[in-house]
Amino acid sequence: MLLRASEISVRYGRVEALHSISLAVAPASLTVVLGPNGAGKTTLVRALAGAVPLQSGAVSLRERNITALPAHRRVRAGIALVPEGRGRLPGLSVLDNLILGRHAAVQGRRGTREADLESALELFPGLRDRLNQDCSTLSGGEMQMLAIARALLARPELLLLDEPSLGLAPLAIARVYDALARLLERGLAMVLVEQKAVPLRAPREVTVVLQNGRAVFHEARRPTVDELASLYLGGRAA
Amino acid sequence: MELARRNGLERAVLTLIAVGLVLAPFAGSRLLIYNLTITALYAMVVISLNIILGLAGQVSFAQTSFMAIGGYGSAILTTRLGLDPLLALPASAVLAFAASFVIGAPLLRLRGHYLAMATFALALGTNSFVTAATPLTNGSIGISGVPPLAIAGHAADSAISFYVLCWAACAAATGAFALLAHSHIGRAWRALATGQEIAASLGIDITRAKLMAFAIAAVIASVAGSLYVEFTSFVGPDLYDIGIVLNVFLMLFVGGRGSLAGPIVGAALLTFAPQFLAGLEQYQNLVFFGVLLALILVWPSGFFGRTRDAAPLSEILPPWLRRRQPAR
Repeated sequence: MLLRASEISVRYGRVEALHSISLAVAPASLTVVLGPNGAGKTTLVRALAGAVPLQSGAVSLRERNITALPAHRRVRAGIALVPEGRGRLPGLSVLDNLILGRHAAVQGRRGTREADLESALELFPGLRDRLNQDCSTLSGGEMQMLAIARALLARPELLLLDEPSLGLAPLAIARVYDALARLLERGLAMVLVEQKAVPLRAPREVTVVLQNGRAVFHEARRPTVDELASLYLGGRAA
Repeated sequence: MELARRNGLERAVLTLIAVGLVLAPFAGSRLLIYNLTITALYAMVVISLNIILGLAGQVSFAQTSFMAIGGYGSAILTTRLGLDPLLALPASAVLAFAASFVIGAPLLRLRGHYLAMATFALALGTNSFVTAATPLTNGSIGISGVPPLAIAGHAADSAISFYVLCWAACAAATGAFALLAHSHIGRAWRALATGQEIAASLGIDITRAKLMAFAIAAVIASVAGSLYVEFTSFVGPDLYDIGIVLNVFLMLFVGGRGSLAGPIVGAALLTFAPQFLAGLEQYQNLVFFGVLLALILVWPSGFFGRTRDAAPLSEILPPWLRRRQPAR
């Protein structure tokens, strides 16, 4: 297994945001995490990225325990996060963003600056004309692509994406998912959080549905629309 | 586009300042040279704060504490131990560097308001400490007769040589700021200023990045503190009063956080303005701070500010007073 989360729980003060979730992510696989607002989806990816401490449970990467590894070192270990809200960094140009992403990669895995930038721009050609533009002037779709490109430059084996389609126009969503499909084909593993549907299929995929911090669905198939509706309204799949 | 235009404006202003500084001695005013020297030294302290606040986005009131290490360090090392001022200055800077790690390691784990409060306590404590540590600092009387710097046998004991020396140091600090801002650590700091979590998700060790900002700023503030004391040949607790650090913040906010020319312009404004207003007598401070408040309301990010995401103070204005905000 590439990544294994064993019975992880997270608390924010007295609120239990995540209750004993277990997850196994195989190399080059897709893990879809669905759930309504406040179900714990963001908490789950943040916990995997090391951004929130665990109350209990363990996380391992390639069978190496990384539970105590801080967020910035998990990036170097191979887990990159595209945060909710896309992690816009006002005042930094598109190029600055890409260079920051590149520096997140371990020295040995990094190519030359030109080669690295070229690999990012090849996936998202729209960014090419905007390299020297302040990233706060980008549209939501462009910023999402930049956030993904930036995360990829860290050379991850696992990409965590928190609601990449949130607030985007349909055309922008299609572009983002086109790129994600290509990345899956290239053998990148993904944990993808969305509220409802995910327009992406992979040969090896698992779907987890969260409700109130608990996994109410965990199977190698997608839930049907009816199942999802009943899961969101509470309770387990019939 | 906009970034380039702002850089052009700043470069023009910096060139103008440089020309003005070359011409200033020919005006033949001793007071002008004195004030300009003080401006250079405060500008350095403002630059040090600009690294922490303008680049890394952390609120720290500790800059006068590091100034005090430079000031008292130089005064004590030269008058008590007979060390050459030229050696006392870097020795104090090393001390400030070490102190920044000792103080920074625990404090920089705090975020936002907590870091601000902790460093504010440090700033208050600095003044009390140097007043109380009489055997070392001579208490509230302070230490006078601090010898001036001498470089290769040429003592900087005239007003004009100090003027040149201090502006050279200020130019070096400005250059260092420009280099840092465009280096990898500068990018990391600016990411950190937006949010710790985003920065960490980009593989940035936030504790280390903050500590670096803190340590570099401590060295710059310490050098400014040493030069100040060697310029006036005196050090006392009043130099590190809490009001001074607040002034340094005002200088940065008026000049513009994150900018290159801002600290110099802000320091000059706050050094010279009170003297222009001296005729107002008891109303001097009232008018002065009234004007400052107005300036910050009109330009929330300062003359050359880059911090566009900072809370725009103009939002607190009633709608009929608001300037139209440019669409994003």
